[in-house]
Amino acid sequence: MKAALALPILVAPARAAAEGNEIGFNVLGYKERGLMKVTEPVLWARGTVDEAWDVEGSAAVDIITGASPRLVSNATGTPVATVSGASISDRRNTADVKVTRHFGDFALGASRTVSDEKDYDSKAFGIQGQWDLNRKNTTLAAGYGKSNDRVGSTDNPDLHAPRYTQEYMVGITQVVTPVDLVQSTLSWGRGDGYYDDPYKFTVSFYPDGTLAAAGDTRPDHRDTVSWLTRYRRYFPESNAALQADYRYYHDDWGITAHTIEVGWQQSFGDRWEVRPGLRYYTQHQADFYFPVIPRPQPAILSSDQRLGTWGGLSPTIRVVLHLDNAWRIEGTLGYVQNSASFHWGGSGSPAFETLRAVYGVLGISRPF
Amino acid sequence: MRRARWTALAALLLAGCANVAPYQRGYLAREAMALDPNPGMARALEKTYSAKEAASGGASVGGGGCGCN
Repeated sequence: MKAALALPILVAPARAAAEGNEIGFNVLGYKERGLMKVTEPVLWARGTVDEAWDVEGSAAVDIITGASPRLVSNATGTPVATVSGASISDRRNTADVKVTRHFGDFALGASRTVSDEKDYDSKAFGIQGQWDLNRKNTTLAAGYGKSNDRVGSTDNPDLHAPRYTQEYMVGITQVVTPVDLVQSTLSWGRGDGYYDDPYKFTVSFYPDGTLAAAGDTRPDHRDTVSWLTRYRRYFPESNAALQADYRYYHDDWGITAHTIEVGWQQSFGDRWEVRPGLRYYTQHQADFYFPVIPRPQPAILSSDQRLGTWGGLSPTIRVVLHLDNAWRIEGTLGYVQNSASFHWGGSGSPAFETLRAVYGVLGISRPF
Repeated sequence: MRRARWTALAALLLAGCANVAPYQRGYLAREAMALDPNPGMARALEKTYSAKEAASGGASVGGGGCGCN
């Protein structure tokens, strides 16, 4: 339950394209080498009612099996993560709905999201206002969200710790020319509550023959800020679009991260579209990330390598097929490699163990 | 004074953008130009990456958390 994960519900104005009623079904398969395997079917729909109301929603199930790193020890000389012997099996059910009412150039939306799994429950809501101006060449948006989560542990039935998060966002979407548009969104939030990972431990051996052991302990709050800018440009002569996203992230745990994703969506006639893409991610570690327990032992520390210094590269390929009867079939294949050596600006955490994963998404949708 | 400066800067930026008429938006309306063409797929991929990274979020609020061990 560690990575506080913001699932996108209230999205700033998503497209300049005309909206319509649409329903779709996707299945995601994700597999890490030697670790987790996730299968996630998602059913989603969106539509317009009486031209003044937009309704959208989705329901998904995550089926998780495999193993997860639980212990970081330097017993062999260098700190390495040890995977739990027992196979993990969990199932996460989640659903969300969002309703938007349009008032001329204004729109007001409200959303609700719930999810549950063995050791984590989440309830969240959000509201968002949106204002079209400059003959709809500019859209301003502002939003507020709040989540009320409960953290548990299959190892500790008595653990039911709360975590509350409040988030804010402001954004602008601007049509620049007839072939390009840009969107920039700034969001920030404050979380309070239980952030420890009850499944993770650190054991350190010292040259003098002594050892220390510690559970994962993190601050009881987290202030975050992220700034996402997305750019789209169409090239009529090539019948293709450039898609470029950049996100800056920073929090008061000391983590700074940059994410860049670039894609080129090429159309072949009216039926086929192919989109090769590349995503690059790099982050600097949390202040309390210690793969070896320091002396004297600090009050908060974690050896979870997701809080370390590292980078990741992920090439993807997406193929879209439009059928005559308006069905749309989409498939995406992606490869993920996270490694200390991919960190921007020098080598990352020596204890970071390279993660290799593949995923595929198959989706089908159609207007109705 | 500072607020006036920011307002003037914002006005200048907006004025610098072309005023694109609705009939000129054919290319902008194409699916390849959409910021979120397939919400279900975007959601699944966002979660896949965020579960392994310290950073998350960006374009949305009000999503809630998950147990991503």
